Amino acid sequence: MTTPATQTPSQAIEASPAQRRTPKELADVSVIVGGQGGDGTLTVVDLLGRYFRKRGLYVYTSRNTLSRIRGGHADASVRACRDPRAAIKAKADLLLAFDQEAIEVVRADLDPDALVLYDSTAFKADYPNSLGFPFATLAGSQLGQPIYKNTAAYGAIAVLMGFDDAVVRQVIEERFKRRGAEALDKNLKALEIGRQAALAVPAAVNRWSLPEGDAHTLILTTGNQAAALGFVVGGGRFFAGYPITPATEIMEYLARYLPAYHGVVRQAEDELASINMVIGAATTGARAMTSTSGPGLSLMTEGIGHAGTAELGILVADCQRVGPSTGQPTRHEQSDLAHLAHLGHGEFPKFILSPGSAEDCFYLTVDALNLAEKWRLPVILLLDQALCQNASTVPAFDLSKVKVERPSLLTAEQVATRAEYKYYAFSPNGISPFAPVGTPGVTSQITGNEHDEWGHVSVNPVNRHKMMEKRMGKLIQARDELPRPRYFGRKEARIGLIGYGSTSGPILEAMDLLDAEGITTKYLQARTLFPVQQETLGPFFDSVDLAFVAEHNYTGQFARLIREDMPQYHAKLRSILKYDGFSFRAPDIAAPIREAFHGAKR
Amino acid sequence: MVQSVKPTANTWCPGCGDFGVLAAAKKAIIDLKIPTHEVVLVGGIGCSGGIHNFIDINGVHALHGRLLAQAIGLKLANPQLTVIAAGGDGDGYAIGMGHFMHAFKKNASILYIVMNNETYGLTKGQASPTSRLGFEGNIEIPFDSILTALSIPSGAFIARTFSGDPKTMTAVLSEALQFNREHRGYAFVEDLSPCVTYNDTFKEWREKTVNIEKLPGYDPTDRSAVFRLCSETMNTGKIPIGVMHRPGKPADAASNPLELKLLPDSVGPARADIVLEHNLAAYQKLLATAA
Repeated sequence: MTTPATQTPSQAIEASPAQRRTPKELADVSVIVGGQGGDGTLTVVDLLGRYFRKRGLYVYTSRNTLSRIRGGHADASVRACRDPRAAIKAKADLLLAFDQEAIEVVRADLDPDALVLYDSTAFKADYPNSLGFPFATLAGSQLGQPIYKNTAAYGAIAVLMGFDDAVVRQVIEERFKRRGAEALDKNLKALEIGRQAALAVPAAVNRWSLPEGDAHTLILTTGNQAAALGFVVGGGRFFAGYPITPATEIMEYLARYLPAYHGVVRQAEDELASINMVIGAATTGARAMTSTSGPGLSLMTEGIGHAGTAELGILVADCQRVGPSTGQPTRHEQSDLAHLAHLGHGEFPKFILSPGSAEDCFYLTVDALNLAEKWRLPVILLLDQALCQNASTVPAFDLSKVKVERPSLLTAEQVATRAEYKYYAFSPNGISPFAPVGTPGVTSQITGNEHDEWGHVSVNPVNRHKMMEKRMGKLIQARDELPRPRYFGRKEARIGLIGYGSTSGPILEAMDLLDAEGITTKYLQARTLFPVQQETLGPFFDSVDLAFVAEHNYTGQFARLIREDMPQYHAKLRSILKYDGFSFRAPDIAAPIREAFHGAKR
Repeated sequence: MVQSVKPTANTWCPGCGDFGVLAAAKKAIIDLKIPTHEVVLVGGIGCSGGIHNFIDINGVHALHGRLLAQAIGLKLANPQLTVIAAGGDGDGYAIGMGHFMHAFKKNASILYIVMNNETYGLTKGQASPTSRLGFEGNIEIPFDSILTALSIPSGAFIARTFSGDPKTMTAVLSEALQFNREHRGYAFVEDLSPCVTYNDTFKEWREKTVNIEKLPGYDPTDRSAVFRLCSETMNTGKIPIGVMHRPGKPADAASNPLELKLLPDSVGPARADIVLEHNLAAYQKLLATAA
């Protein structure tokens, strides 16, 4: 039903029988906001995320959008917790719905006690525990634009959850001040419209209360933003890319950040141009990167192989999504690893690094830049949709932990002291000192053809053999410098978990669930996926009876890589797999481990 | 003086048209007194793409069809470099066609030389995008790079030369490089460079080429007039050569080449100071704003 615009707020309220109760304290709350694309669901989640962060809570947001600009179901969620959580809560406590479809889509994800708050402008919710307010009508009649319904709904949620009024307002000011005075004023008015509407209904007031958290110094960021920032402070100065979900934000952030540092960001005509522009830039000694996702990665594969054999240090961020082909552009998967580990035609060295949190995205991007330049090869920063786009609270980035190291680079002064300069000089560790094109006093020949030390094309079998050993040997020579795993859990545990990327969040939460049941586990968060880090995985396998590798793909790609290099641990390996486009929730990981644990006892 | 890489012995067939381009490029670089470390030649894949091996400057052998992307990356990362991309008609007009079009749009101050021999010589004479009807069974319409280049509203310097006329070619390449070095934008030169083994067109092209600059109505600042002259010349079975477009000085900042739009101070990514300690204050500010 449509509520006439002339109705007053109190008349317009449709409350289903949700009686007044004492505020229920929630130490871990999850809110889903759902509607059609363009309803502003992400805005509400963003506002709530900012509020929770200011209250010292750990925040994790996620999104479920379709690959279209407007229309189609879209929802997003925000979780706030006193404990550090970087995963979607198994069941949500509140749904803000802008249409009935939103209720149907997330019905199964709602807690039995959940409340559905909805915009009654256009429909009456078919859900037992619901509260309707005509947000669009109220915003339309009082502000002239129904779109402010989302900010009004934020106001109603603030009342429901007993938010601090001053902080609620501060969040609006922060979010909209950049949009100009009018936008800010209208949003503040919309906030008040939503608040007043809710305050008029006893069932809507202070239904829940949230404790103050102690994590006030954290920042709220995404993996994409953290990687972009890491690129800047790690000395990255050249970026070329092509828009592709979920990688585009890296390009957008860098387009904002880099010009202030003599940097260049170009949107190229395709991924073939992107990777080759990056290769060209790396030839001059600039630290260069592209970011892409599955389809773009396939197109870049030839270029990455070229960088491997031409010995040019480049960085490629692969923001994995559901593949193959166009797949599901906005959905989550970790299914590019097998392709990356066996990348391209021919053989060449590369490192695949995988950050396990937004925080890790920042520091590992710096490491990746240092490694790419030092070892003169392509480094893949393996991300995934959830890591790239879900915002989480992380410690503020600390520049004292950042090091920009350039041990392979030759300055003009250093070159001048040499009798000769060979671009591909043989050396004990396979690294040839790097004098970029443009260095006074020397010229170089750089080629994807097999070449001798000077860069001359060579078909000599002795040279070919030596050059292969020089390049491929880097995979062994660099082992001690590659990022180490992070370890969590109880040292004495006999059940191990192995994961990478965004699965770290749900794995850590699953470990807490299991711990409460007396099932102790430990976790190895792999940060170097290729070359397979036998020296860290081996002792971990030796210390457990069973090791579960949790990943988002059908074939267990990381588990297969481990088996390929470490077949002796085959019998201990189990896979926990999910490939429906959505991230693990903690129970998804806890369940098979619980089963194995009790099975072993029987 | 540091000993660095020296050119290799030439591997082209005796009499190949590409020798003309090599000689003209060498002379132009010497005449313009460009220090060897400041010039880089990006070669494509194919016989002509090997040109970077035969000249005493920096050389890059790019992937097939991707030389323009690498050349533009080089230029934008270090705008002080003189960057020449050089390859064949298969490299540029088939596998690299997307980049061919976008290079005009990007307008970075680099020189692109296409050695057009109307065939894939290195793979033994298949039809290329510019092959005439009937050549090796070709049933597709031959591509004309000059008409295409003229049809794109860019500020590029555009010319066609013929390897049988080295004197003109040297003058054209010198002018194109000078144009680049003054940061006036993109320069595209197609050289008619016969493949003496699989498609020897020296004699035919000597007879058929017509210097467009000598035709009545020629005005290199008027792209539509030159397009019409070219089109009419081609209709008579002749091949127009000469400077096809010579833009005046850029009238406004909008027509500036890409590297100046992006890097007004010409420092650029390669020469940026990335030492952490030198950037601490700025980084701290950036991190604070981002949070």
